[in-house]
Amino acid sequence: MSLVNFTTREITCKIVYYGPGRSGKTASLQYVYGRVPQDRRGRMVSLATETERTLFFDFLPLDLGSISGFTTRFHLYTVPGQLYYDSTRKLVLQGADGVVFVADSQVRQLDENIESLQGLQANLVAMGSDMRSMPMVFQYNKQDLPSELILTPTELDDALNFWALASHSSDALRGVGVFETLRAISERVLRKLSEEAPA
Amino acid sequence: MRRSRVIEAWTYEPLERFVRESGARLTLVMTPAGQVLAQFGFARAVDVMAAAALGAAVFASSSEIARLLGNLEFSTLHHRGHRFGIFLGGCAVPRGRLLALVIYGEDSSVGLVQLFFDELVRGLQEAAPEQERSRPVLAADFERELNDSLASLFGR
Repeated sequence: MSLVNFTTREITCKIVYYGPGRSGKTASLQYVYGRVPQDRRGRMVSLATETERTLFFDFLPLDLGSISGFTTRFHLYTVPGQLYYDSTRKLVLQGADGVVFVADSQVRQLDENIESLQGLQANLVAMGSDMRSMPMVFQYNKQDLPSELILTPTELDDALNFWALASHSSDALRGVGVFETLRAISERVLRKLSEEAPA
Repeated sequence: MRRSRVIEAWTYEPLERFVRESGARLTLVMTPAGQVLAQFGFARAVDVMAAAALGAAVFASSSEIARLLGNLEFSTLHHRGHRFGIFLGGCAVPRGRLLALVIYGEDSSVGLVQLFFDELVRGLQEAAPEQERSRPVLAADFERELNDSLASLFGR
């Protein structure tokens, strides 16, 4: 849940990158980390296994500067994508203000995407939320792969994006679409905060 | 020199007293999601935001293990290292649930930290105001400032 302080005029929001294993969640944060000036970001923390798979989460704090007179910070997290880490996914999702669902565009990964999306909905419902009330954006990653291996954004929208939420194609390794996705989720999170604004 | 950074002003007095009496090097008061409300102590050697995120994760995962074991939760946790120890404790105040991450050195002990932690909890509970009513936060045209800010972050 976002932290808003009217005295010091500070806002801190939590955005979680969710999706199946190896879909590009950590790569997206690594791209952001690499592009953002050092004085506008904190250290990137990655709790990973020996084989570089996310074990618990990646964490990257970003300082967006002043927005409407509020010093605004975003804390970006990823969840571990592998199926058997569901309990840790739930923990990372707690207190989230927005979710980026990073889908793997490969045809053979469609079932994993659907399973992960179902898990997300179940975990949000357990937190008293759901995909309709939580600010959310889809990031269709690996769109740079040969067309015969991947589903198009339209096909992925048909398969995953039941509520016609914003979706962006990406190639997280090269950073294509990562910025646009972050901008889209940021807008949605701040708009919701502006409408509800628990202090 | 000890430094403080307080986002929620009501936390300052109980926190300052706790750090002085317990001999803690650094104490962070934060939400269960790891958002820091206040910090007090020697913070230069520690990346505060990373420590808060990791502390919140440790507490959340330990609480989940407690739940699996049929415990309500572990109310406090501590780890003792060679030069430093860390102590994590949770409490409920009128504004919701809070966590404290305490880093202490050889000039203190887990017993001392635990002793004054109970006092810190009482102080926070007494000082915490009720939840404020909702009110609008951002100007209607915040998107332009957000876009400018993100564009400058990404060098566009």
